Amino acid sequence: MSDIPQPDHDSRLFRRTLLRVMAMQVATLLLLWLLQIRYTR
Amino acid sequence: MRALDWVIIAVYLVYVLVDGVRRAKGTREIEGYFLANRSLPWWAVGLSVMATQLSAITLIGTTGQGATDGLRFVQFYFGLPLAMVILGVTLVPFLHGARVFTAYEYLERRFDARTRSLTSFLFLVARGMSCGTIIAAPAVVFSAIFGWSLLWSVALMGIPTVIYTMIGGVQAVTWVDVKQIALIVFALIAVMVTLLVQLPVAPDHALALAGAAGRLRAFDFSLDVTNDFTFWSGLIGGTFLMLSYFGTDQSQVQRYISAKSVDQARSSLLMSAYWKIPLQALVLLTGVLVFVFFVFQRPPLLFNPADEQAVRAVEPARYEALDERYHTALQARATAARAAPSAASLDAFRARNADVSAAREEALGLARRVTGKAARDVNFIMPWFVLHYLPVGLAGIFVAAVLAAAMSAVAGELNSLATVTVIDFYRRWIRPEAPDAHYLLVSKAATGFWGLFACVVATFAATLGSLIVVVNRFGSFFYGSILGVFLLAMIPRARATGAFVGLIAGMAAVAAVNLATPSVSWLWHNVIGAATAVAVGLVLSARRTLPR
Repeated sequence: MSDIPQPDHDSRLFRRTLLRVMAMQVATLLLLWLLQIRYTR
Repeated sequence: MRALDWVIIAVYLVYVLVDGVRRAKGTREIEGYFLANRSLPWWAVGLSVMATQLSAITLIGTTGQGATDGLRFVQFYFGLPLAMVILGVTLVPFLHGARVFTAYEYLERRFDARTRSLTSFLFLVARGMSCGTIIAAPAVVFSAIFGWSLLWSVALMGIPTVIYTMIGGVQAVTWVDVKQIALIVFALIAVMVTLLVQLPVAPDHALALAGAAGRLRAFDFSLDVTNDFTFWSGLIGGTFLMLSYFGTDQSQVQRYISAKSVDQARSSLLMSAYWKIPLQALVLLTGVLVFVFFVFQRPPLLFNPADEQAVRAVEPARYEALDERYHTALQARATAARAAPSAASLDAFRARNADVSAAREEALGLARRVTGKAARDVNFIMPWFVLHYLPVGLAGIFVAAVLAAAMSAVAGELNSLATVTVIDFYRRWIRPEAPDAHYLLVSKAATGFWGLFACVVATFAATLGSLIVVVNRFGSFFYGSILGVFLLAMIPRARATGAFVGLIAGMAAVAAVNLATPSVSWLWHNVIGAATAVAVGLVLSARRTLPR
């Protein structure tokens, strides 16, 4: 795979987006979990 | 539907067509046509990926699923964010950095031409067929609800999409997708707000009723491999499915390799995951609220008007008796639902809801016997609600959003089908040397061909019902194995023959599991295919590199 260029090292955008994405998923899962335990017996 | 609704739909169709076609300006070579000269901003690519995945059936079928089955389908997407992160740090840098047009082109550089040709052929067959079913599913609903002919329904979605995709290429697909996803989200939020306003009980009361009917159970931690939607099948099987889909399917790969840089490509992929679980939860929750809405408003016994007419014609007395029983059960349920939520009142509501469900099941069984088809009217619940209860204007916006969802999903796939046809077959095997203008012409012709093919498949798939299921399951037979080949590509000691045999072994393993134990959920097929392909590929590669 020597002909494949190495990825660039400027990954600030990726890290920032990653944090936002994960925060959004965790918040949604938490909300769904709360809905389930609050309203489902 | 009033005149204003039809005007909204017409304005939407004209706008999409004009906006898509004007993107053709400046597209003079195939790199511009297929990859927008790798200049698209990451957020637009991310929204485009999201729009491509969101088909019309998400809006009408998934909401219906929310109404009948609750939130548990959301578990299907639990693996998605994880898959995006894995792809962002592994495959995306390789594919973007390799400056390829297709994911399969990369496989020839790494292995050989036969692995490239087999994977790209599998893609063409599966995506070509699935493109047809994407149009077929909403076309069936539109023709049943509006009384249009099936051909007209297919043409309404297919023709404008083919025109703007053929003329504008990936630029048109991406920028139209951005507007379409905005329309879809707006329509969903508007419907949700309308539902909350129209409900005769407070939101907390409504959620208590939904919870009592089991509609708010989003997490199922059971270890049942025959159950399609559990936390574990979503997290493990779903991760492998999403890795396969986003990492190896050209309809997705093509979106992010058109981004400006590796960082932007993987950020765009993450962007598409940003709203995925929240959006699916919103879609399902809308369906759940539709269920609560129909607790207080009388829904039909059968939502599919064609089924209802058929049953009424063949078994009128039986249908009338069942409808009467259903009506009585509905009234008892509505009375139980109006009581303030308490353990006793919710138990009573649950019992009355079971009576309603039993009458519905019996009616669906009757429809199955009369029509000879697998009668599931899940896809007709949301359209029924939209046409009968949404205020004027909003119904038109929702139907336009359904068209937008179908068109965005089809456009992305048509563009990728044309790319693989031209790059992996025409340029690779038929005319390796030709001017760019020639390839551009062939690319447009290929887009038109696949659009026509999709419309023909849609017309037949709609009348053959079960074909849609067959096509949807077809992809799960080889998706995992193709992922296995891409994983092998990242392992330095893997060799070409190992990868090719591994791909075939992976597909054979999935076929064997499906034949021997058909009850195993298809979500696990991807895990089995990928694991077998990697194991066989590595063993064969090790054998070939052993010193004599």
